[in-house]
Amino acid sequence: MKTKDIRTTIAVVIFVVLAAGLVLGVSFGTLSGFGWGDFSLLCPLGALGTMIATKTMIPRAVISLVAMILFFIVLGRAFCAWACPVGVLDRLRAFFRSPKKRKELEQAKHDEMLAISRQELEARGVSVKGATADDGATDAACTHNCKTCGGCQPIKHGKLDSRHAVLGGALLSTAIFGFPVFCLVCPVGLTFATVLVVWRLFSAGDMTWSVILIPALLVVELVLLRKWCTRFCPLAGLMNLFSRFSKTWVPTIDDSKCLETAKDSACGRCAMACEADINIRHPEFGERTMADCTRCRACIDACPTKAISMPFLVRAGHKVTLADAEHEVLEGVQQVEQRAEAALHPLDKAGE
Amino acid sequence: MTEEKGTAPEQTTQEPSGKREREPMSMSRRSLFIGVGSTAALLGLGALRYVGHTPLNRPPGGQDESALVSACIRCERCYEACPRKIIIPASIEDGLLGMRSPQLDFSANYCDFCREENGGVPLCTQVCPTNALQLPADAVLGNPETGERGNVIIGIAKIDEYSCLAFRDTGCRACYDACEYDAIRLEGTDTNPRVYVEADKCNGCGACESVCKSLSAGSIVAGATHRAIIVEPVEA
Repeated sequence: MKTKDIRTTIAVVIFVVLAAGLVLGVSFGTLSGFGWGDFSLLCPLGALGTMIATKTMIPRAVISLVAMILFFIVLGRAFCAWACPVGVLDRLRAFFRSPKKRKELEQAKHDEMLAISRQELEARGVSVKGATADDGATDAACTHNCKTCGGCQPIKHGKLDSRHAVLGGALLSTAIFGFPVFCLVCPVGLTFATVLVVWRLFSAGDMTWSVILIPALLVVELVLLRKWCTRFCPLAGLMNLFSRFSKTWVPTIDDSKCLETAKDSACGRCAMACEADINIRHPEFGERTMADCTRCRACIDACPTKAISMPFLVRAGHKVTLADAEHEVLEGVQQVEQRAEAALHPLDKAGE
Repeated sequence: MTEEKGTAPEQTTQEPSGKREREPMSMSRRSLFIGVGSTAALLGLGALRYVGHTPLNRPPGGQDESALVSACIRCERCYEACPRKIIIPASIEDGLLGMRSPQLDFSANYCDFCREENGGVPLCTQVCPTNALQLPADAVLGNPETGERGNVIIGIAKIDEYSCLAFRDTGCRACYDACEYDAIRLEGTDTNPRVYVEADKCNGCGACESVCKSLSAGSIVAGATHRAIIVEPVEA
């Protein structure tokens, strides 16, 4: 069983158990507020929203928020890959895509990542072996023709991105109008709401517009707002603020095994596989950085040489972001600097 | 063009040409677009606060309407907790602001403030993680065993004399029999008495509504959309 299937299964089981609880009245709560009896763990955004809106400290909300922040620091955005129903819906949507469209999308991503790999290899002064070894059709279809478009440009990653703007907008609106605004349209909440209204439609004959509008809103968010998780989700934005400090279970490339560093061969399969739009080999070319790693293990599964692993703790000073050549350059520069400093020191002392 | 189709169809509409060279540029522009658009949309959504929604019968502890709207995150814990399954999500017809917030549905059962199930501590209020359902410190809950009305008033029952079976001389007194707070008065001494609500004794528990037969038995009045006795929210 591939990790992806395991992940889908886990997320579906969580969803089904919670949805069954909702329908049968067994108190587990939903992912917006999970728990039973007096115990509850709240969605961090909901907890934040409700406290801002009511301007009070709510004990259960504070505890939930702290627990969630610790979780994000340890496991990054793992919730997104392993538990979030939106990810399952996304995969469901991909499943029902026409084979042609799916192939088109895969090809586009494949071409882009391969082009980046080649360009980066060439930048290191390596004549790319993969360019001819790979199927010729790729080259013909490759729209990233480096000679005409000036190459794939690295993306400047600011500290904040569009999701933080959505998060800020949601919290601002909550503060102004005094209610958790985003909860009205949260796709996780809407997924459970869909279960509830559909169940009520059949069990109580409760036909209201909600039965149509709640799922419709969900579809609009996931279909029209492309790449919801990468570009819009304020919850992912909130997680990112803390997961960027995570040093545990972060995928790490063993440069002695990686095709690109060990064999000078363009590969890019980890970047093609990544569900969070991260380019682990060349992070500066990914739409998102390692801060957004969902620990989904797709890159580990995709790596042809098993060069990627998820060590419990990323070794201090071990940069997965730099290729070997860049390492050498950096080290060279540092040595020169050290020598220059050493040369200056006696002069300074003499000056005193 | 194929590449643009593959990566960002909605943005290409704004910049039909000359985009390819400035891919990263359009990326930050897209971020700006998403940020400004989403913030505007969320502020617009927030303005629903002023639109409001139709008053609803809230579960115990949800009588402070503005506090409930401020705190409820639609986690759906209260629906599950209710032992009588009378808490339902408010529908969109009652206003977008209140959509999916908890309301009471007395069509099959009524609220006994969990006297029978939890010794008089409403489970919905107990599980609510955000205190959206929170009883005031001086709250006295209705007690169906002693008939004490309490001061937590969900709503007040109201009789539609036009569709009420008692007003059609059928002798129906189901609501009178169901009421545990003596909030329904029989008038007329003959075999077909009329029923009236004593508003100052009613706490909106919904027992009367849950047993009302006007929609299911006898001479159903054409065009009636709800039962002849319903609990109406206090604000209405």
